[in-house]
Amino acid sequence: MQESGTAKRIPQDLGAGLFLVSVSLIALWQGADLDAGTVREMGPGMLPRGLAGLTGLCGLFVATRPLWSSETQESLAGWSLRGPVLIFGAAFFFAYAIRPLGFTVAGPVAIVLAALAGRETRWVEIIVFAIVMTAFCTLLFRVALGLPIPVAPWLLDY
Amino acid sequence: MDTLLANLTLGFSTALSFQNLGLCFVGCLVGTLVGVLPGVGPIATIAMLLPLTFNIDPTGALIMLAGIYYGAQYGGSTTAILLNVPGEATSVVSTIDGHQMARQGRAGIALGLAAIGSFIAGSIATLLIAALASPLTKLALLFGPAEYFSLMVLGLTFAMVLARGSVLKAASMIIVGVLLSTIGTDLETGEDRLTFGISALSDGIDFTVLAMGLFGFAEILRNLENPEARAILTTAIGRLLPSSEDMRKALPSILRGTGLGALLGILPGNGAVLGPFASYSLEKKIAKDPSRFGKGAPEGLAGPESANNAGAQTAFIPLLTLGIPPNAVMALMVGAMTIHGIIPGPQVMTRNPELFWGMIASMWIGNLMLLIINLPLVGMWVRLLQVPYRLMFPAILLFCCIGIYSVNNSPFDVVLTALFGLVGYALHKFGYEPAPLLLGFVLGRLLEEKMRQALVISRGSFATFVERPVSAGLLVVAAVVLVVAVLPAIRKGREKAFQE
Repeated sequence: MQESGTAKRIPQDLGAGLFLVSVSLIALWQGADLDAGTVREMGPGMLPRGLAGLTGLCGLFVATRPLWSSETQESLAGWSLRGPVLIFGAAFFFAYAIRPLGFTVAGPVAIVLAALAGRETRWVEIIVFAIVMTAFCTLLFRVALGLPIPVAPWLLDY
Repeated sequence: MDTLLANLTLGFSTALSFQNLGLCFVGCLVGTLVGVLPGVGPIATIAMLLPLTFNIDPTGALIMLAGIYYGAQYGGSTTAILLNVPGEATSVVSTIDGHQMARQGRAGIALGLAAIGSFIAGSIATLLIAALASPLTKLALLFGPAEYFSLMVLGLTFAMVLARGSVLKAASMIIVGVLLSTIGTDLETGEDRLTFGISALSDGIDFTVLAMGLFGFAEILRNLENPEARAILTTAIGRLLPSSEDMRKALPSILRGTGLGALLGILPGNGAVLGPFASYSLEKKIAKDPSRFGKGAPEGLAGPESANNAGAQTAFIPLLTLGIPPNAVMALMVGAMTIHGIIPGPQVMTRNPELFWGMIASMWIGNLMLLIINLPLVGMWVRLLQVPYRLMFPAILLFCCIGIYSVNNSPFDVVLTALFGLVGYALHKFGYEPAPLLLGFVLGRLLEEKMRQALVISRGSFATFVERPVSAGLLVVAAVVLVVAVLPAIRKGREKAFQE
């Protein structure tokens, strides 16, 4: 868990509003080439642009909420890095290893990577668990349910 | 009445087939399981199991998925009563008096009351669905694009008002959801919109990808930050069946809770979450001795438990009759239907009567099964809570990955899901609720389609939405709801309701 001193002083709503504004700007940039058309004959760009505008507007309202709302403000703090990075990493590895390396590699590695995101890591336990889960999932999803998941293409052509 | 009987007969003959009974049982079992386990919600579970239903016929698939949903309502109350840990958001109220009863050594009776109340509520709600389905479907067939558009606006307004936290933030999430739904090929011109030049996005974002990212993955990230609280059952469960004296006292509360819950559940926009809260306040208000509440009053448990189950059932009404999902779980049902080539809406009842009535009948059967699953097996469910989260979350992650990958055999989908997981985590940190976003996303495409159709018919005049009486009426209701919600006095009451 990482907490920086500055993050604690930023009101949650300021961050929340700026988040919406950036979503809005990205959408406006991506939809810039689309033809908005007229109300009578709407083009593909009309709705995305309108919604992006609304999103931005909401963002401005949310960001300035500390100024006009009497609600107590929470601060923007307590973001952790370890969990998100490792969980994303586990899914990313799974996604791109499943075809070339198969489930026998992608499965256990994803489990171990994910487990590292937890507070305590018991190596023996997690390695045994990874092997058991991989076997269980292979039986359940590939053998019993027949989903087309490559199991070990480098070994068995299966 | 005759047709209702004929329809129910058709439904039961479908639901009682060997395969469908089995699927209903599996659904209820899995539902109870995720209901018991805190940190695993029905939304993530249904999203996870969606790919597994590819090989089953659509009726069976929907029966199973529905079972997960209302099964989770039952399971959630078990942990609420025994361990003071609400397994699901809707069972928060049950912790108040339910857990107190458990501490006084009446845990078994509390569980029994909750289960029997839920069963009665589920049965009545099932009948209500069956009775309301035909007239509402006929009404829906009269709806033009303008009426549909306004109805969805009304639904989204309810979703906004009923969401936890600020109305402005909920509104923002709905708008972002609708914005996300415009990603992909334009309906009329076939032009790519907001795809970042990624060809995989031309078909739009897959619903399961968004749902599993925002709920499955983000839930893991959020749970990792909370230290693991190991709940330990300290009290004996004791006698399970309430005495006839207990039942006689609780029955009026059960019926009142059922009525309230069923009514709120029909509202488009997740009214079902309000049911238990409303029922608890009602019971407390009309009780002769309100001071007993919070100290183990059976009425304070039986009412809300019935309300939560009734609401979970009647939430199917807008989906089945109008094709409009009132909450995130129903939105997943839409996903499940479309995967099987069924377009949700009023035509389902006439085109797929066995699916429609089979599903309704299966709900009653499922409620009966849940009674059996929950009461005698309660010890087993409690023991399951002993599985530490440090092993549970890697397994959940793996299931999510396998599930997403097998929807389209696409690695990109898995990465996109993980990305939405990060977005979901950020939304949580910013104090946004993901449920309205998901609802906006699901209704978004339909909303755009109907709006453009209506505008073509009216030759570009927005007046069509207020000139047509039904459409205008729906919009007026939406406006009133919105105004009422932001009025300061009512806002305070709403905050109080959520705090209780």
